[in-house]
Amino acid sequence: MKKICNLATAVLFSVVILCFSAAFALLPDNAFSDEENRVLAQFPEFTWERLADGSFSAEINEYFADQFPARDLLVGVKGVTETLMLRGENNGVLLGRDGQLAVRRFKVYKSRLEQTDDMDYYYEDTLRLNVEGINAWAAENGMETVTVLPPRTVDIASSAFSYPDEITRAMHGTLAEGFTDEAGFIDLLPLFREKYDAGEYVFLRTDHHWTTLGAYYAYREIMKAFGMEDEILPPEAFSTEEVPDFYGTTWSRAGYKFVGPDVLEIWTAGDEERFTTTCLSEKMEKGEDGKPVKALSAYRSFSGWLVRDYLEGKDKYGAFLDGTHNIQTVFRDTEGTSGERERLLILKDSFANTLVPFLAQHFDLVILNLAGGITDASRYAEEFGTERALIVYNWENLITNTNPASLR
Amino acid sequence: MVFSSLIFLFAFLPVTLVLYYVIPNRKARNWVLFVLSLIFYGWGEPVYILVMLASITSAWAFGFPIAKYRESDRKRARVWMALSLCCNLTALLFFKYANFFIGNLRLLPFLTERLSPIEGLTLPIGISFYTFQIMSYTIDLYRGETDVQRNYVAFGAYVTLFPQLIAGPIVRYRDVDDQLTERRETLPLFSSGVRRFIIGLGKKVLIGDACSRVYEYARGTAQFHPTAAAAWMVVIFYTLHIYYDFSGYSDMAIGLGRMFGFRFLENFNYPYISSSITEFWRRWHMSLGTWFKEYVYIPLGGNRAGRLKQYRNIAIVWFLTGFWHGASWNFVLWGVYFGVLLMLEKTFLLKVLEKLPRVFRHLYALLFIGFGWILFSFTDLRAGWACFLSLFGGGVEAFSTPVVGYEFLRALPLLAVAAIGATPLPKRIWDGLCGCDWTAEGAVDEKGREIPVSDAPLGLRGKIFGVLTTVLCAGILLCVTAYLVDSTFSPFLYFIF
Repeated sequence: MKKICNLATAVLFSVVILCFSAAFALLPDNAFSDEENRVLAQFPEFTWERLADGSFSAEINEYFADQFPARDLLVGVKGVTETLMLRGENNGVLLGRDGQLAVRRFKVYKSRLEQTDDMDYYYEDTLRLNVEGINAWAAENGMETVTVLPPRTVDIASSAFSYPDEITRAMHGTLAEGFTDEAGFIDLLPLFREKYDAGEYVFLRTDHHWTTLGAYYAYREIMKAFGMEDEILPPEAFSTEEVPDFYGTTWSRAGYKFVGPDVLEIWTAGDEERFTTTCLSEKMEKGEDGKPVKALSAYRSFSGWLVRDYLEGKDKYGAFLDGTHNIQTVFRDTEGTSGERERLLILKDSFANTLVPFLAQHFDLVILNLAGGITDASRYAEEFGTERALIVYNWENLITNTNPASLR
Repeated sequence: MVFSSLIFLFAFLPVTLVLYYVIPNRKARNWVLFVLSLIFYGWGEPVYILVMLASITSAWAFGFPIAKYRESDRKRARVWMALSLCCNLTALLFFKYANFFIGNLRLLPFLTERLSPIEGLTLPIGISFYTFQIMSYTIDLYRGETDVQRNYVAFGAYVTLFPQLIAGPIVRYRDVDDQLTERRETLPLFSSGVRRFIIGLGKKVLIGDACSRVYEYARGTAQFHPTAAAAWMVVIFYTLHIYYDFSGYSDMAIGLGRMFGFRFLENFNYPYISSSITEFWRRWHMSLGTWFKEYVYIPLGGNRAGRLKQYRNIAIVWFLTGFWHGASWNFVLWGVYFGVLLMLEKTFLLKVLEKLPRVFRHLYALLFIGFGWILFSFTDLRAGWACFLSLFGGGVEAFSTPVVGYEFLRALPLLAVAAIGATPLPKRIWDGLCGCDWTAEGAVDEKGREIPVSDAPLGLRGKIFGVLTTVLCAGILLCVTAYLVDSTFSPFLYFIF
């Protein structure tokens, strides 16, 4: 019997490592992981220099992890194991009531040289710097400005977790007190918490974004802040399309394969074909006097604001505004209306993408990706003649970069 | 390359096992081990293969004159030995300590400008380990405790043998010299090695790395909100982390050795159940302790030359032990700290402790081991001191914060598993259920002699648990693979030594 056990151990071990390595060698490499929504590492370039300086061997470890056979299954095994250990989280993502996920740990920013990985505490100086940056820009941009800072899932859905809301309270304290009147700060936390606790589906469970319903509530607050309360469109003005099976970015990071999907809602007012979304980029061109000047040119444009192809794939949220672009405009045709509409400048991260359909009903939109480092907002305000400005920047971004501090 | 990487488990190891076992010839098998070990070693920094080969070659070549003269002309043999040791130690001193000495000399005002650190000098991995292994050959040869190894490949295979190459255990040449040419690979030895390897892998990846994450987090919170609770978490989880990391590595090394027919000495013997620091150092990194005892402490006179000299010898050994761990003052202090504790225990403390109830002795030992780890883990002495003060409320904002408290609660199951796993209890229970020890084959005593394994037949329960043992190993291997696939690469702590 001992011999059988010894043989079983030896054979099983050899078979497992040989099979995995054979499968690894024989199976074709994947370029992209749908489950994780990211490009996978490929076989690193081999040169003797790269071998000598260690970069080859460092990258091959990534390659092995990314292209490993049954990767998705194994990632799930880890998620289950962590749950059995009562850890309550995996890869920095909390698992809460009803499959609610929320990122707890971030790469918090102190300076370009100093960032702390996997930390829930944040650098107060970074947050204050961003608040002051927004204040300063709002004071001198000459536009009526509204600032909307969507909290993180962990802040909104705190009732779903046993995780304390110490950090939420600290951040909220700084934000609630830090803004000048000109910045037009709207405090969304109490409103969203109330809705969330009442069981309303305002934040996605598997993604870090709000739902379209959540965006609608934010839209109402923005309109009120702009003094356009009377023009707010009621929910009945939109028809709702439900896109099932949406597994968001938080889900990908968490590796909790047993957590079910979200439903992504698309609200349409029925006049989408009147809108055109244009993606622009800025290049250096020769000006009239021969000197180089920056000039905007369109590289993509499409009707409406929705790109339906995304709805078939994993990154469904990308359907709004075609994912991430640095400079975009959403204009409505002028047919049958009295000339041009008022223009609104939006400085944003991806939370704004679901807000756009609502705001586009009232303004022509010029959208700058603040999260992507587009900070020279006043120049574009002048170029497009915008009269109002809206800042949409998630709390996570406020502690992981200082782009708002460089607004000008 | 490290054992806890996918490329080792699913590329290097299968290739090595296949090549090794398809070749029937002993000499050729040593070739396989030698060449593949060089690849294993050179994986990160291939240049340093040359440094290692130079060390191996010089020690091998100097071995001939030492052996030739050791009986006829002691003086001449001693010169050759000194030369050989010089070559080895020069490499270690240069690569590991040059910049440390330069950095400290630069603190002198008139040297600040004249000296500059050597750029691009990184520590060749494992140099501290293999240098000590090579030295054990040279010294034992001179002492007549082993024979000269004429076969370069066999000697090279001894030094480079990938299981113990980069993080020990430090295998003395005389403990394996016969095995280099006459080992016998058997099925019981192989499967015992597999089990031992998988246990080590699990200890490192599932428990050690998890403790490390808690430790990193607790340490990270200090720069936001220093609390006493986080400082205690730093101590507790670092204590567990380094044990699981390093003893897990030794388990893997011993297990891999068995897969290739080698029987290595144990390196850890449940160090955290010690009831004194003296006992701790008999249980922790035993191969290093033995090395210093054999090649430094006893040659200096050990405890036979009077009390005063004995204390001097202890001081030298512990200064060197600390310094061996790293070219930084915190390691030196760490060594000195234990040297002082050991002297105190020798003079009076052990006698006092013996009168105390057992639980206090354990608490005392654990507490001072833990304080030691603060010194060890903070290369920045000021930060280490701040952490130490935080334990007792010095410079903290509060005892704890809600978030730190949450983290501690969530880490409690891990803490329980890790704490129990650091005692002999789980193994004792499992062996009891099995009616035998499935990792006994290949075990050796402290002199390197095989410990015979009982071949009593298994009862029904033993048979069931025999199967369960295999299933358990497969489960651990699967879990480890899952963790490796889903995590960024985590190297071993002892890699830097």
